[in-house]
Amino acid sequence: MSASFAESRAVIALQGISKYFPGVKSLDRVNFEAKAGEVHALLGENGAGKSTLIKTIAGAYTPDEGTIVFNGKERVWSSPGEAKKAGIHVIYQELLLFSELSVAENIFVGDAPRGRFGFVDHGAMVSGAKAILDRLGHRLDPRAKVGSLSVADQQMVEIAKALTRDTKLLVLDEPTAVISGREADLLFERMKTLRESGVCVIYISHRLEEIFRVCDRVTVLKDGRSVGTRDIKSIDRDTLVTMMVGRSLADIFPKKRAQVADSTPLLSVRDLQMPPRVRGVSFDLHAGEILGLAGLVGAGRSEVAHAIFGSMAKQSGTITLCGAAHNAPTPRASIDAGLGFLTEDRKGEGLLMLLDAAANISAPTLREFTRFGLLNRPAEVTSAADEIARFRIAIPGPTAGVRALSGGNQQKVLFARWTRACHRVLILDEPTRGVDVGAKVEIYSMIHDLAAAGLGVLVISSELPEIIGLCSRVIVMREGVLTGELSGDAVDDREIMRLATKNLAAADARDAA
Amino acid sequence: MSAIARAAQRLAIEPALVVVTLLLAGLIGVGAMVSDRFATVGNFLAVLEQAAPLGFVAAGQTLVILEGGIDLSVGAIAAAATVFLAGAVNGRDGLMLPMLAAVLALSALAGLVNGIVTARTKVHPLVVTLGSGSVLNGLVLLYTLQPTGKAPTWFENFAFGRAFGLPISALAMVVGFVLVGWMLRKTRLGRNILAVGGNPEAARLSGIGVDRVTMFVYAASGFFSGLAGVYFVSRMGVGDPRVGDPLTLASITPVIVGGTMLGGGRGGIAGTLVGVLLISVLNNVLNYTSVSTFIQWVVQGLIIIAAVSIFSGGSKRP
Repeated sequence: MSASFAESRAVIALQGISKYFPGVKSLDRVNFEAKAGEVHALLGENGAGKSTLIKTIAGAYTPDEGTIVFNGKERVWSSPGEAKKAGIHVIYQELLLFSELSVAENIFVGDAPRGRFGFVDHGAMVSGAKAILDRLGHRLDPRAKVGSLSVADQQMVEIAKALTRDTKLLVLDEPTAVISGREADLLFERMKTLRESGVCVIYISHRLEEIFRVCDRVTVLKDGRSVGTRDIKSIDRDTLVTMMVGRSLADIFPKKRAQVADSTPLLSVRDLQMPPRVRGVSFDLHAGEILGLAGLVGAGRSEVAHAIFGSMAKQSGTITLCGAAHNAPTPRASIDAGLGFLTEDRKGEGLLMLLDAAANISAPTLREFTRFGLLNRPAEVTSAADEIARFRIAIPGPTAGVRALSGGNQQKVLFARWTRACHRVLILDEPTRGVDVGAKVEIYSMIHDLAAAGLGVLVISSELPEIIGLCSRVIVMREGVLTGELSGDAVDDREIMRLATKNLAAADARDAA
Repeated sequence: MSAIARAAQRLAIEPALVVVTLLLAGLIGVGAMVSDRFATVGNFLAVLEQAAPLGFVAAGQTLVILEGGIDLSVGAIAAAATVFLAGAVNGRDGLMLPMLAAVLALSALAGLVNGIVTARTKVHPLVVTLGSGSVLNGLVLLYTLQPTGKAPTWFENFAFGRAFGLPISALAMVVGFVLVGWMLRKTRLGRNILAVGGNPEAARLSGIGVDRVTMFVYAASGFFSGLAGVYFVSRMGVGDPRVGDPLTLASITPVIVGGTMLGGGRGGIAGTLVGVLLISVLNNVLNYTSVSTFIQWVVQGLIIIAAVSIFSGGSKRP
């Protein structure tokens, strides 16, 4: 570990930065400082203000208060381009690459070496790209089309792009959310190389293990405020969790439900095939059970849920729901059979943003409020009011819109929708994504209550603490295959990560090819 | 909730309606200054009478745009309807009523085909209806280049007749708007149109039959286009293969001006009605000022752009 950063100067220093959005204070007088030659972790729950802070540093947002000092000079960015020119490079989760262009063309995009007459000097570009990749220590053909590369290699292209300029500050926004464990190891090695060369790296993640592996210091954000900056060597995991969520894990999750004795399963999936994303998944879900489905992003978890619900086509496999075959599911048939699916993309696949809360809650069950095609609006509104009270949704009333609600309250609206509609099985895909800690606690206790009422609940989550805190049994997927099942005391984060990143012979063969 | 509060809330939801209504009032004021003959009962009734065909197609277009689509075949369907109706009757007065029913059913069917293709192929409705409109236009022009056929004289009453002192065509238009408005507000189908228009994926995952909703709105638009064709037959006594040409784009203007969002999910039929009146009064006022017809196009274009930029100004940020 480099010790040199301790006495090096601050590359970036934020003083008292605040940023308001209508109704929300996204950043509240945040102080933050990162030095040359260090990897500085920015840690926080969803909605803690990490993204806003990064966008402020990168010039995408103008702070409402406070100053940004970059390289010793106070700066006010008028645009992201200006920050980039000054040496700040941000790599977002969605990579900004041209998949039809080559690695070299992407690295030098907008800035290609020119030969005579102003034409692009292709040879110089390829050798320049090679030099930069060498500096990163990453072997990659500069002529390869970017679209043909793995996501991990594409990240390397992004990093190489940063190195064509005199980048002093590199920000990585949750890069490991989209790559496998082995690829992440490689990324960490590259980050260390960058650190040695004096670049300041800000690393955003909510995975604690990674932060202990690669980072020198950590700054924790919570509810738009900085909770503090610590040397990684002087802090332990539990303290970090407490800083991040404001309370210890024990207070967040309800007491785990006892494991369900083997009864007839409510939902039974056998040899589900949806190539290439899902290959031969089988599992059972029992009444009263909270079953966790863990794995990395892209492991095929959401696809399994979509196939069961009928919103994506499966190739083969049998599904049994409450004892009856459910092999050609459609969303309507699933809902009618008592199966609900709360998707991970609340805005894209969940809420009807232009309609009011009552319409959102009743969307799958509108038939109950209809006679001869005519809506019984008063009954719909009354029922929605009951749900709003039951789930303690902070909203002016059932006829208020859902757009302005916080993430937590929007999620509760969807909980109301699906618990109202479905009484047998609920599939929850990332149920607390983008939700603050208070709402998380409430959602966890709702999930608990649903299971206690006899529903089978399948929880898909990338948040290990959530899986571990909620589920008495966990199945783990990696690259479309179930790699294992854990139950009782065996449910812990090391085991889950091991299964989620377990090397598969097939995957290895493919990577080598 | 009191009636006043409800009204206020409605105003808050549809500021577009307020803006367009004020615009219409202002325009009527200008008209009164421009000409003595403008602010007369006779003139207003004439404006209403002539607004009917635009009103019919705009009512259908509102449903389609609310659902998230667009229908560029309304003019072609209307033209085909005139030629079919006048051609099939062609002086045999007894056939008028059965053919009227047939032509409305066929127009709805043509729209239904648009809906089926859009729903099943997932091709953008702009492409589907542009294509089907072109096919229909071509077929009609192959059949005849000239106005054709003959409708009975009594049928003029639909375009020019009066009931309770009001033009029958305008009454028919208002009935159409009321029905559509009632359907949107009071039926499950109406709710589902708004749901699909706002977020088709969320609607699908809520078990809403998105395809059926899509088919319905295009069929409805086809029906209203056919009704516009029927109006033209009544007014002209013949079928005219070219009558639909200006109608397609004209059908979109009042919908947008009336505050219905392109892309779907938000808006309503009341705004479209005011939009239709605005366009009709505008053309009427400009007629009195004896400026070129083309000035009408210029002013209409400016109104569209102004209206849309006003409405979208407040809602750019999520």
